[in-house]
Amino acid sequence: MIELIGDKILWNWWSPVWLVALLVTIAYGRRFGWKNHAKTAWLTTGLAVLVFAFVSPLGVLADGFLFSAHMIQHLLLLLVVPLCLVLSLPVVKSGAFPPAGGLSRLLSKPVVGWLLGLGAMWFWHVPAFCNAATESYAIGIVRSVSFLLTGILFWWPIYSPSKESRLPASNAVVYLFSACLGCTLLGIYITFTTITVCPAFASPEERLAMMTALYDAGMTSAVDQQLGGLLMWVPPCSLYVFAIISVLCRWYSVDDTEALALQAKTMVEASS
Amino acid sequence: MSASSAEASGETPSKDPVSGRLLSWVSTVDHKKIGILYISTALVFLGIGGLEALLIRVQLLFPNNTFLSPGLFNQMFTMHGTTMVFLVGMPVLIGFQNYFVPLMIGARDVAFPRLNAMSYWLLPFGGILLYFSFMTGQAPDAGWFSYAPLSTKPYNLMPAQDYWIIGLICLGIGSVAAAINIFVTVLQCRAPGMSLQRVPLFVWMSLMTAILTILALPALNAALAMLMIDRLLGAAFFEPARGGSALLWQHYFWVFGHPEVYILILPAFGMISEVIPVFSRKPIYGYAFVAGSSAVIVLLSYGVWAHHMFAVGLGMGADMFFAVGTLLIALPTGLKIFNWTATMWGGSIRLTTSMMFAVAFLLEFVIGGLTGVMFAAVPIDWQLTDTYFVVGHFHYVLIGGTVFGVFSATYYWFPKMTGRMLSERLGKWQLWLWVFGLNATFLSQHVLGVMGMPRRVYTYAEPGWMALNAIAGAGAVAMAAGTLVLLLNVWVSLRKGERSGDNPWGGFTLEWATTSPPPPENFDVIPRVESRRPVWDLDHPDSADSKFEKTPEDNGWRPDKSVTSVWAFVASEAMFFLLLLVSYVVFNTDQTGDIRSASVLDVARTGLFSIALLGSSFTLWRAESLLKAGRIPQFRRWLMLTIVLGSIFIGGQAIEYYGLISSDVTIDDNLFTATFFTVTGFHGLHVIVGLIALSILLGLAVKQDRNVLSGTALKAVGVYWHFVDVVWIAVFCIIYLRFLQ
Repeated sequence: MIELIGDKILWNWWSPVWLVALLVTIAYGRRFGWKNHAKTAWLTTGLAVLVFAFVSPLGVLADGFLFSAHMIQHLLLLLVVPLCLVLSLPVVKSGAFPPAGGLSRLLSKPVVGWLLGLGAMWFWHVPAFCNAATESYAIGIVRSVSFLLTGILFWWPIYSPSKESRLPASNAVVYLFSACLGCTLLGIYITFTTITVCPAFASPEERLAMMTALYDAGMTSAVDQQLGGLLMWVPPCSLYVFAIISVLCRWYSVDDTEALALQAKTMVEASS
Repeated sequence: MSASSAEASGETPSKDPVSGRLLSWVSTVDHKKIGILYISTALVFLGIGGLEALLIRVQLLFPNNTFLSPGLFNQMFTMHGTTMVFLVGMPVLIGFQNYFVPLMIGARDVAFPRLNAMSYWLLPFGGILLYFSFMTGQAPDAGWFSYAPLSTKPYNLMPAQDYWIIGLICLGIGSVAAAINIFVTVLQCRAPGMSLQRVPLFVWMSLMTAILTILALPALNAALAMLMIDRLLGAAFFEPARGGSALLWQHYFWVFGHPEVYILILPAFGMISEVIPVFSRKPIYGYAFVAGSSAVIVLLSYGVWAHHMFAVGLGMGADMFFAVGTLLIALPTGLKIFNWTATMWGGSIRLTTSMMFAVAFLLEFVIGGLTGVMFAAVPIDWQLTDTYFVVGHFHYVLIGGTVFGVFSATYYWFPKMTGRMLSERLGKWQLWLWVFGLNATFLSQHVLGVMGMPRRVYTYAEPGWMALNAIAGAGAVAMAAGTLVLLLNVWVSLRKGERSGDNPWGGFTLEWATTSPPPPENFDVIPRVESRRPVWDLDHPDSADSKFEKTPEDNGWRPDKSVTSVWAFVASEAMFFLLLLVSYVVFNTDQTGDIRSASVLDVARTGLFSIALLGSSFTLWRAESLLKAGRIPQFRRWLMLTIVLGSIFIGGQAIEYYGLISSDVTIDDNLFTATFFTVTGFHGLHVIVGLIALSILLGLAVKQDRNVLSGTALKAVGVYWHFVDVVWIAVFCIIYLRFLQ
C-alpha cells in the first residue's frame, strides 16, 4: 500500500490551491499581523488541511475515483477548513464583525448559516449535481468554493470573533444538534439507499493501480458508497459534539469581568 | 402507603374542596401527591414484575423443568421486561422528578399541574390495558422489544399483541407529556438567582432525561402505529413475506430503545450526585463536567442504536462506525465514576443506608458498564448476543444503576416526603440482601452466558448449568426479600418512625429549606440563590459557596411556558413524522406495479389544496400581527379565514381519499398505499386537531377572553399550525413530487 501511495499519479503537486493558500496568507498578514500565535496556528492548520485536501492522494482519488475519498474531501472543505479559518480571526470587542451592511448582516444570521451549511451538504449530493461537479472542472471549482463559503457562514454563529454575534449557549446547542440530525439523515440515506448517489464514481473512466488494489480488497462501488454515507454521518456529528462541548465550557465559565466584580464585592464585605 | 403518608403528615382533609381522602388523591393536581402516586403505582407493578421474574427463575431451577409451559414462559419474560421498563423504571423516576424538581428549583408546582395529572392517569390506564390481555387467554409473548415478524399477525394471532401496542402508546403519550412538563418547569419556574448553571444535578439530569424522552419516545410511537396498522388494517410494513422489512422495526425500536437506557439511568446519576456530596460534606467534584457530559450523552445516545443489531448483518462498515460510537459514549459515562469518587475523597463520609446504596451503585454500575464496553467489540457481541451474558449485563446496569440509585434516593428523601426517618437497621438489611441478590443472580448469568446458555428459551438440557441457575434463583429470592424489608421499613416508619425535622442530613439544596413534608404551596419564603448550594450558604454564612466559587449569574431569562411547551411538543411530533417519512422513502425508492404515487395521485389537484394550507399559515401570521396591534375585529376575521383555508385543505384530502378508496386503492394494497395513507392520514389528523384549537381560540376571542387577547395562546397554537404546514411541504415534496426516488 505504501508504494501505491508513493505513486506519482496520486500526487497533484501543481494544484492551484497553493495559490489560494498564498493569497489568504498574504491577506491575513496584512490585515491582522502575526502576533497572536494561537490564531496563527489555526490559520496554518486550516490552510494545511486545505492544501492536503487537493494535493494529496485524497484529492486525486476524490476527483472521480473513490466516492469515500470525495466525501472526506467534502467534509474537510465544508467543516474543518472553515472552522479553522473562523477560529483564526482575532477576537474583537464588538461591531467590527460583520462589517455593517445589509448583505453581511443577513449572511451572519444563524438561520441563514444553518440553511446554507446544511444546504450545501444536501444540494451537492443530488445525483445530477454530484455527477456534474465531478465531471466538469469548472463546476468542481464552484462546488469547492461554495463549500468553503457556506462552511464559514455555518460556523460563524458559534465561533464568530465578535462575542456579540455568537448564539447564546442553549440556541447554539440546538443549532449544532439539529445540524447533526441533518447530516445523519443524509448519511443514513446514502448508506442504505439502493440508488447510486454519484454515478461518476461507480464507473470511473480510467483505473488507477490504487483502485485495482482496493477493489481486490473488497472495495466495490457499493461498499464505497456505503462508506461514504457513514463518513457523512458519523464524523460530522462527532465534530458537532466537540463544538457543543466547547460551547458548554464557554457557558459554564464565569466571565472575567464578572469574576473580578465578585472578588471586589467579597473584599468589601470582608473589610466591613 | 400513599394514603397513610398523607395522614402521617397531619394534612387536614378539610382543606380540599372535595371531601373524602380517596377523592382528594384521585383529583389532585399537586405535584407532590402526583409524585407519590407515581411511586406507589410503580411499587405495585414492581411486585407484579418481580413475581414474573421469580416464576422465570423457578422454571429455570433445574433442567427440563415443566413448571411453566413454553408459551407461558414467553409471556412471563415479555411481561417482566415490559413491566419493569415502562411500568416500574420510568414511573418511579418520573415520580421522584415530579416530587423534587419543583422543590429543588424553588417553585410552587410544575408548570402545568393538570397536564401532570393527565400524564399520571395514563400510567395506570396503560398498565391495566397491558395486563387486561391476560383476560383474553394469553399475555403478549413476543419479548419486550416485540421483534417483527414474530409480532405481526401471521405469527401472532391473539389480541394480546394489540393490547401491548395500545398499552404502550398510552404510556408513551403519558411519558412525553410528563417530560414536556418537567422540561418547561426547569426552564421557566426556577427561583430568582438560580441560573441553569446552578441547578442541582438531579434537576439538570431531569432536564436531560426530559429532552431524551421528548425526542426518543416518538420513534417508538411511530413504530407502534405502523405495527398496529399492520395488525389491524392489513398493511405489511414489517412483514418480509409481503415486501415489508422486519429490520425496519429493529431500527425504529432501538432508535427509541437506546436513548431509553439513558432515560432510565440519567435520573439515577442525578440522585447519587445529590446523595454523595451531602454525605461526604463536600460539593460535587467537577459539577460542570458531570452536567456537560450528560448533555453529550444525550446527543451521542441517538447515534449508537445499531450496536443492538450487530448480529443482523448491517455490513462491516456500519458495524465499525457504530462500535466506535459505542466506545465513545462510554467516555462521558465512565469518567463520571471518577467525579463521584473524587467527591468522596477527603470528605467526612457518613455511611448512612442512602450513602451505602450510592457506593454500591458505583461498584455495581462499573461492572455493568464494563461488560457494556465489551459488547462494543463486534466479534464479542456476535459470540455473546442472545445469551445470558447480555441478561447479566443489562441487569447490572438497571439494578446496580437505576434501582440502587432509586433506593439511595428513597432513604435520602423519605424524611422530606413524610417527616419521618426510615430505620437504618432495616435499611442495611435491605442493602445487603440486594447486593447479595444482584451479584448471585447476575454474576451467575454472566458465566452461564459464556457457557452458551441462550436467553428466552424456556428450559435447558445441560445438567452442568443447574448449580449456577440455582444460585441465580437464590439471588432472586434475596432481592424479593430485600423489597419486603423496604415495605416493612416504610410501614413501620409511617407509624412510629423518628421525626426528621426539616433538614435531617444537612442537605444543600432548596428542598431542605422547607418543612417535612412540604406544605401544599411548598415554600413560604424562598431563600436567596447565589450558588449551587443555597441551603449550605444559608446555614454556613461564613463559608458560603457564593463567596468562594463563582458561578454564572442568573440573567433572569424565563421563556413563556405555553410557547416553550408547544416547541417541545413540536420537536417530538417532528421526530414522529420524520420516521414515518423515512419509512415512505425506504419502501418507495424503486416503485413498480400498478398502484404507485405516479399512477394514482393527482398532483395538480392536491397542489391547489396545498396552496390553501400554506395560505393559512400566512393568514394566521397576519392575524397574530393584527392582534399585537390591538385591532381585534380584523384579527378575528383573519383567524376565521385561517380556519376556512385549513378546512378547504381537509376537504381536499377527503375528496382525494374518497376517490382512491372508491377505485379500490386501500391501505392494505401494497407498501405504497400503506405508507401513503399512514403519512397523509396522520398529517390530516394533526390538521384537524389544529383546526379545533383555532376554533376554540376564535370562540374565546369572540367572548373577549383575556388569555386569548393577550396573544400567548395564539402564539403557541401558531407554532403548532406552522409546524403542520412545514410537515406538509415535506410530505408533498416526497410523496407527490417524488423527491428522493
